[in-house]
Amino acid sequence: MRGGWAKIVGMAQAKANSKTYDVIVVGSGAGGGVAAHVLSLAGAKVCMLEAGGWYDGTKQSDMFKWPYNAPHRAAETKDKPFGYFDATLLGGWQVPGEPYSNASGTDWKWWRARMLGGRTNHYGRISLRMGPYDFKPYSRDGRGFDWPITYEELAPYYDKAEELIGVFGTHEGLENTPDGKFLPAPAPRGYERLVKLACDKIAVPCIPSRLAILTRGIHGRPACHYCAQCGRACGINANFNSPGVHIFPAIKTGNLEVRTGAMAREVVVGRDGLARGVSYIDKKTRGEVTVNAKVVVLAASCCETARILLNSKSSQFPDGLANSSGLVGKYLMDTVGSDVDGYLPILEDLPPRNEDGVGGMHMYMPWWHYQDQKAGKMPFARGYHIEFGGGRGLPDAGRVRGTGRILGGGYGVELKRNVRKMYGAGIGFSGRGEMIPNADSYCDLDPGRVDQWGIPVLRFHFKWSQDEILQAKHMQDTFKEIITAAGGKYFTDATAENNWGISRGGEIIHEVGAARMGADPNTSVFNPYCQAWDCKNLFVTDAAPFVSNADKNPTLTITALGWRTSEYIAEQVKKRNL
Amino acid sequence: MTEKSGVSRRELFQIAGSVPALAAATAGAGVAQTHDTHAGAYQRKVFDEHDWHTVHVLCDLIVPADERSGSATAAGVPEFIDDWLDFRKQEDGHDDLTAQMLGGLAWLDRESSRLFGKAFGGVPVDQQKQILDRIAWPERAAPEDRRWAEFFSQFRDLTLNGFYSSKVGIADLPYLGNTAVEQWKGCDPAVWAKIEERMKNGYKGLGGEVKRWG
Repeated sequence: MRGGWAKIVGMAQAKANSKTYDVIVVGSGAGGGVAAHVLSLAGAKVCMLEAGGWYDGTKQSDMFKWPYNAPHRAAETKDKPFGYFDATLLGGWQVPGEPYSNASGTDWKWWRARMLGGRTNHYGRISLRMGPYDFKPYSRDGRGFDWPITYEELAPYYDKAEELIGVFGTHEGLENTPDGKFLPAPAPRGYERLVKLACDKIAVPCIPSRLAILTRGIHGRPACHYCAQCGRACGINANFNSPGVHIFPAIKTGNLEVRTGAMAREVVVGRDGLARGVSYIDKKTRGEVTVNAKVVVLAASCCETARILLNSKSSQFPDGLANSSGLVGKYLMDTVGSDVDGYLPILEDLPPRNEDGVGGMHMYMPWWHYQDQKAGKMPFARGYHIEFGGGRGLPDAGRVRGTGRILGGGYGVELKRNVRKMYGAGIGFSGRGEMIPNADSYCDLDPGRVDQWGIPVLRFHFKWSQDEILQAKHMQDTFKEIITAAGGKYFTDATAENNWGISRGGEIIHEVGAARMGADPNTSVFNPYCQAWDCKNLFVTDAAPFVSNADKNPTLTITALGWRTSEYIAEQVKKRNL
Repeated sequence: MTEKSGVSRRELFQIAGSVPALAAATAGAGVAQTHDTHAGAYQRKVFDEHDWHTVHVLCDLIVPADERSGSATAAGVPEFIDDWLDFRKQEDGHDDLTAQMLGGLAWLDRESSRLFGKAFGGVPVDQQKQILDRIAWPERAAPEDRRWAEFFSQFRDLTLNGFYSSKVGIADLPYLGNTAVEQWKGCDPAVWAKIEERMKNGYKGLGGEVKRWG
């Protein structure tokens, strides 16, 4: 493919403006990374625009540092909402000078990481394939919409994605929970083995988790050394992150140029209605720069991509680019979340051991009520998986708590002795479930506000439906059941009044679907290859084209879908269709 | 957890907390630094001389030295608390937690003076404990002491967090990670044997009784 591109695109390019790239990729996270990787390796000359700064985890990670050497024991702050060591360079729930607004009655949270690689530097590395049902949810239960593609169509790209980024797991053959090309799964920790036995009692499946962390060296990257701090970014590139896995190898081809501090404002459209390039603000100079290309790939993150499209207004496209369906920004989804804390006395006072493991769970529970839902026996549609964590973790701000709840109080030598015994017996369960897209959840441009670059900002509108709220209740009930089956105590503030502790929209940081793909230009923004119906040289490789938001965390599907889209772009160039 | 899958690791690991996350000193003048390298360098931000003394006394009543490790003050916990209160004030935009802690300390002095004729920091340990015994177990506290029991619970959480996130406290627990492991083997057989034995025979722990695993 590389040769093909050089021959066709390269020759055409020689005649054109020397500053015209084959492809501009806006964004450097999972979606931008995979597009730049696949297209650069295919021989395209790619210019990547990243709104944040340069980041290389192998040089900048805080791996192995101790909280007692950090400000306030590495506590969470407004500037660092996930704590001092979190890899996020600049951003979080707020980005300085780049606000967003919430419509009345909406309490949306939007996490942005302004840095090379975006959120892939700190995310949980959970890598679950969507299953066959997940691509056709409307056909299955009459709610939401079907994807224009099937699991079988995306499966080869899941294979490629897993083989490149490295995902551990086991072959289980469970319903709608496809197995993948897995590296060996790490053995479970003690509390995980115990919870698995508790789940056996109540017939909840508990299987090895699937995370993008190397348990064996691949592609010149070493295996994990099990320090459990993946959220700080990995100093040895043993977990998936877009810079270390997608971008740096792409730069080595000589085909990828990365511009940081480049805040994309608008896709520039020519008189022919095709994308001509992208205008961005150079954050250093605050000046506007236009970069030209034959193909534009947006991967700025779901909502930011919608924002760029809505801001790309022209006489041909007065409502924003690719928006003839009126669906840009619409049907925004997040993941349903609800948590219960627990305490398992059986884990008290065990022989001290290092039980760090990888940066995340070694076991998890995939959804198990597919047949009950099909039979109409459940009060809500769509499922969730369960994540859990506990053990003798790194003591930082807030680690030792609950002495009041477990001991009833105390002080002195006896308290000290008790805390040692209690250390490692705490546990937490979190549900991560599917939200059905609804017309009340969307983003549009705030009519009055702009950011410091002069770009109109997004305004969010968001509502959970009864399905999500009842799903959160089911999570609560299940977690209590598991904890009780393990002989423990549970603690939760969730009640019917607070909708069973359901997370705020955006809080789980799985926002997807603001510019969905489909088979019909009247009811979708992108075609089945994530190519804009209204503008054939405009593509998207982030989560904006998602049609639904299965409980399978989005990053692996972004990677697989982005890979497929990038291959399609390369083929279309070869066929001279672009 | 994020994600972080969105799940905050911290949320997952909290045992059952009821107060905001607690933590420690600044990079330049932190607990560890105070303890390990810059002894005496800490500049107080919240407590005055009198309260500073009371905080030392109270911290060491909560976490005294024992056969395994030193006391709270040896681990720099007073410095941690002083810094934490100042930090919360900056982060929260109000000083409610500081007010609560200073107010609790003032009550300890008032109550001690009323009962024993001297401020809390100046009376013998058994008299100090007489007061603490009334407020250290909130469920047992008399109605008129409940407010002060709430104060004490918060102060205790601050002390425990400062202590167990310090180098001294980490060695005390002990936490044995944050290091490179050549080969991950999963749950240690000795640990699992103990869990299995408890499943077989049942176990009575601090957090209640676990019945035999049926």
